[in-house]
Order: sequence, then C-alpha cells, then structure tokens
Amino acid sequence: MIRAMNATRVMNNHVKVEIPSINKQRYIFFSGKGGVGKTTMAAASAVHYAESGKKTLIVTTDPASNLADVFEQEIGHKITPVKGIQNLWAMEIEPDQATREYRERIIAPYRGIMPDDVIASLEENLSGPCTTEMAAFDRFIGFMEDDGYDIIVFDTAPTGHTLRLLELPVDWSRHIGQAAAGSGQTCLGPVQTIQDSKDKYDRATALLRDAGRTTFIFVMRPEELSLYETLRASKELETIGIRATTLIINGILPEEVCGIEFFRKKYEAQQQVLRSTAEAIHTPASSMLLRDNEVKGLPALRSVADELFHDRKPSFQSVAGPGALDSVFLEKPDIERLWLPGHTSRPDNSGAPLLAGEKTKSLFFTGKGGVGKTSISCVAALFNAQQGFKTLLVTTDPAAHIGEVLNVSVGAQPVNVADNLDAVMVDQKAAFKEYKEKVLLDAQGKYSDDMLAAMDEELNSPCTEEMAAFDKFMQFMESSEYRTVVFDTAPTGHTLRLLELPFDYAKQVEMMAGTGDTAAVKESTQNRFKKIIQTLRDRERTVFTFVLYPESTPLLESYRAMLDLRTAGIETQLIVANLLLTDRVCSNGFFRNRQKMQMKYLKEIQQKFDLPVLGFPLMQDEIRGFELLRRATALL
Amino acid sequence: MQGKKVSIYDPALCCSTGLCGPVVDPVLVKVNDAVLALRKQGVEVERFNLAQQIKDFTANTAVAALLHNNGKNILPITLVNGAVVKTGAYPSYEDLCRALEIEPLRHKPMTLSLQ
Repeated sequence: MIRAMNATRVMNNHVKVEIPSINKQRYIFFSGKGGVGKTTMAAASAVHYAESGKKTLIVTTDPASNLADVFEQEIGHKITPVKGIQNLWAMEIEPDQATREYRERIIAPYRGIMPDDVIASLEENLSGPCTTEMAAFDRFIGFMEDDGYDIIVFDTAPTGHTLRLLELPVDWSRHIGQAAAGSGQTCLGPVQTIQDSKDKYDRATALLRDAGRTTFIFVMRPEELSLYETLRASKELETIGIRATTLIINGILPEEVCGIEFFRKKYEAQQQVLRSTAEAIHTPASSMLLRDNEVKGLPALRSVADELFHDRKPSFQSVAGPGALDSVFLEKPDIERLWLPGHTSRPDNSGAPLLAGEKTKSLFFTGKGGVGKTSISCVAALFNAQQGFKTLLVTTDPAAHIGEVLNVSVGAQPVNVADNLDAVMVDQKAAFKEYKEKVLLDAQGKYSDDMLAAMDEELNSPCTEEMAAFDKFMQFMESSEYRTVVFDTAPTGHTLRLLELPFDYAKQVEMMAGTGDTAAVKESTQNRFKKIIQTLRDRERTVFTFVLYPESTPLLESYRAMLDLRTAGIETQLIVANLLLTDRVCSNGFFRNRQKMQMKYLKEIQQKFDLPVLGFPLMQDEIRGFELLRRATALL
Repeated sequence: MQGKKVSIYDPALCCSTGLCGPVVDPVLVKVNDAVLALRKQGVEVERFNLAQQIKDFTANTAVAALLHNNGKNILPITLVNGAVVKTGAYPSYEDLCRALEIEPLRHKPMTLSLQ
C-alpha cells in the first residue's frame, strides 16, 4: 500500500478544506493559472458541499469557461440546476451577454423618448472595453449580494485576469469618489449608475477581505513555474488586503506508476517542487494525485472530492497492460513557411534589420494557460533567430514568465538574450505609467496648471491602463527593427479582448467630433488602426498558432477561441499539440490510459480544426534556461 | 459673480476630458481647460455627457427639444444662463466670456483659441 503514502511523504500536513458554518453565506474563490485544474477542484468542492446538504451555487467568471464540460450538461448565462444532484446550481457568466444586459438596463428607459440616432450612439458608446469589464464585474458582484445560497463557489478566471478583476473594486471606488468631487465624470459608464453602485462595490471589497466569509484557494501544479506564479499571485492579492487560506497542489504523479527513469525523474522533480512549496508558502496545502483519465461527470467529481476532503487516494493500474494503441499520424507542417518571414529574396539574413519593401512577420501564440504557450513561443523565436532573422519576443501575459524560461530578467525595454534575439514584456502598469507621462509631458506648457492637475487625476483610470498596454502592443507590431516579432499572448479570453480592441477603438475614434485639431488626430489614429487590422488579417504577415495539449478542456477552449478570431476576420494557421506522451515512455497502464486519452483528442483536433498539427513531445525537463530551450528547438 | 452659469451638453463621450479614448482629444482638452478657467473666475459650469447622464438631457426642455428635432448631431449644446448660445460645436473660451459678459483671464489658460 505505497499509494496512500507517496503524496503525503512531503506534504504530510494534508488539511481537509474546512466546511464553512452555515449561519452566513460563504464565498470560495479558486485562483490559479489556467490549466492547473481549478475548474475540477471548484466543481468537486461544489459537489461536496451540495452533498453535505448545503445549498450551493458554482459560478464561473472565466470567459472561456469549461464548467459545462465538467458537468457534462449545458449551463450558460443563467442559474441552472445541475442534473443528478440535489442542492447544486451552476452558472457561466458570459461577458457579451452580461454587457448587453447591463447596457439595456441603462438605455431602456429612454427608448421612444430619445431619437433613434441618440439611442444608437448610446448603444455604441456602451459597447467599449470599459463597459464590458464593468458589466462582467457588476454581474459578479451581484452574486456576492445574493443571499439565496449557503455557499457560492467561484471558479475564477486565470491569475492575472482575476487579480485585475479583484483590484478593480478598489480602483473604482477611489475613482468614483474623485470623479464625483471633480468633473462628475468617470470613464466607467453612467455616473448615476456607478454612484448607485458605489456602496455595492465597497461592500463587495469588504466581503472579499473578510476571511470569515471569503476563502481564497490557490490551485497550482507541482512545477517550478507554477510555484513562481502562485507566489506572485498571492503577493499581489496581499497588496490589496486579501490572504489565500488554502493551497491545492494538483497533478502529483503517483509514485507507484513512475517505474521507468523518465517518470522517476519527473516524480523526483515534482517532490522537489513540493519541498520548495512547503518552504515558500506557509498556508495549509492539499496534494492531489494525477489521474489516468479526465475528470468529467459526477462520479469522477465525487472521487476527486473524496481525495480533497477525506484524503482518500484513488488507486491506479501500475502493471504493464496490453499494448496496441490507436496511434494518430501527424504530418509534419511546413514550419519554415509558417514561422519564418519570406526569405527567398535574401540568402544572407545574418541579423539584418528590415530592408525597404520587406514586412515584419508577426507570430501569435495563443491557447489556454498552462499548455506550454510560453515555451513554444520561445522555441519559435529561437528558431527564427537561429535562421538569422532578427527577432523580438514579446509577452503580453500579465503574469509573464518568459524571463523564467529564458533565465534572464525581461522588462519593459527589449533586452538581448541571444544572437539575433531580443525579448520584452508589455507590463500593463509600466505601460500605463509611460503613457501617462507622455500625455502630461505633451500637455505641459499648453495648458494651465489646474488643467494639468486635472489631467493627472483623470488619467488614473482602469481604461487608460488598458489603452496604454494596447498602445505598446501596437508599437511592437509596427516595429521595423525586427524581421520577426513573436507574441507570447495572454490566455485565450484575455487575448481576444486585447485583439478586439483595435476594432472597438476604431469605432470609438469615428465618434470623435471631426473638427480642427481633432480631425487630424482622428485621421492618423484611424489609419494606424486600419493598418494594424490589415496586418492581423494578412496570412502572409501574421500567423496565429494555437498551443494546446490533447485533452477536452484545452481543445474546446481553443476551438471557441478560433471561432472568435474568425469572426474578427483572422484565420488560425497552425495547431501545436504539446506534451505528447511517446510510446517509449508509456510503460504501464496508467500512462497508456493517458496516452489513449491523448490519441482520442488528437483525432478530434484533426477533425475539428482541419489545420496542420505540429506534435511536440512531453520533455524530460521543464524548459528553463537556454540550453533546454536550444534542445527543444532542435526538435522542430 | 452670482447667477453666472454655463451648461454644456456633450455628445456621448467616453470621458468629457478627452483623455480616455484611444488618443487624447485636443478639442475636449481645450474645452476642459476653459471650464477650469471659468470656474476659477467664479462661474458655475455644469457638464452632461450623453453616454453617462441621459436623464439630464430629458430634464432640460430646450435641450430635449433640440435633440428630439435634430438628432445627435446638434450636440454639443452650450447654454449660458439657461439660454442656448451654441450648438453642433464647442464655443471657445473667449466666446463664453463674451456671452457671460466677463473679462477673459489674461494669462491662464494659455492656449484657448480654437483654430
């Protein structure tokens, strides 16, 4: 009976997630990078509470939610009873739907009173990025006001995004206070509506900080990058007065199935991470074993809940089972054509910048967090650099870890990391500061001191932050210094919003009064956005690659994201199926089960996406540092 | 300076300051500069943004009628002491001072002439 011992060897303080007292409604937030198993843990907990007789609601705020997949039923943007279980309801907050509802609540009283073009302009104005964020948040806060449940479980969006979401109420209530005292304007929507909601936001913030009512649970994988992420995220939460109370380390390899050296080494590496985690994070931690199949449906969720709440470990088939798997043949895609700039015209590429008439190639890597997007984008960037193309690697992930992969500190200015290769991080906060300084410097001498002071305050809005980051993003796309620019984009939902921004902005610019100075600004801005949009849609100049691993959740999320991109006129050109288990390493039933699962989804990927698929094997080590990156690039 | 009042009814804007768009809107920044100067001179200035304060657009009968008959292109509408002085564009600081029958500030704001 080794199996019950292995995970607790290091983390022997296995703590049961406390069952909250039912006198007051409680909120449980699951936080962590995408792909760590947050949804599974949240859903299993919800099932557990519901079956202990607590009236439970599980809500997802993730724009690319997979709650429906886990419960194997339709859920959608409404509170839906979960089939086959008492006391459990679920809802997926759908950002577009939430925005429509929010907008309609504001506009409805004026229909028929105001002329149509006024209503239309209101509708358009309330469709911008600010309104979307506002509306989603409003809906989210709405649940914290709802006292119809004993427990509400939030399966939150990936770390960076979650933090922004949670930081907003703090920013907003400050912003509203200032706006009411000053011009009476805010960029967040109708000031009356916001004023009415200010108390609500303050109450929500207080609730989030009240450890007696709100529990934050971090979910991570036993990997160094994941630990680093978790530490960062928990520090950021602490700066806004929130402490995580529980940690779940999910996906620990069961010792008994790690017979061969490949997995034995992986097992040891995980145990090492568990030790570092115990040293670095002092909150109680639960260890959860990797399973040999996906967690879908109530029986599987109950089994996870059993492990999470009662420390009952599942048992696995560790003996050699029958071989003969359905293998899937992947034709090797034309990586040179897809990932390298057109180079036939120039045999000698050795790091030269763009010549006249040449265009920069932009490579975008997207997909759910935790699929290895950062590693693959580093591989693509190094591949370009090795072929002699001067390359810039840009991360737009608010929780960036390119620096961790490259083993150098990557900041807001491009740094040279190898021959022909520079790297840079678009840090929203830093970009915001830069943007603000630029605006204020421009204004100095033109306007009165009062105006400058007012500008200084007005610029402190969440919208300006988003604007600033986007501005930065475009600057790199427009750069003529590099022949290839590789974007390690933020997780799917966020990426799409970022990429949709030029379209929204172009619309917003059209609405600016077209007189005098404004007309000139308007025209140059519109041209700039038009160019960006054209570039994004040009298949020769821009290549979108989806990175995923062959499991249900990443597949469905990527598929939805691909359709979303298509509606914006952007066609995805390549799929990277990462973390593939090779025959060589699948020596027992456990991994063969997992390989079988991968094959099933690889087939589904081929059918569903109808795109070239590049297979990338599970590597012995996490890609950290240059030598490992070089080895990974050699696999292409 | 009792009874001096300017009311500006803006079109649907993200922010009336002109700072909160994809680019800084110089026209709006100038208007804002004028507003600050007028306030310094003791003039009461109120601004309404169609995107944010629709209620106020229906509450003022003159504004509601103009909007109803002409549509959104009539905006911005500027009132001085309750009377409409300009529609379809913003008045300059000097225009506003003239309508208010006050002397413009000599030094501040620095650049207020539109065009």
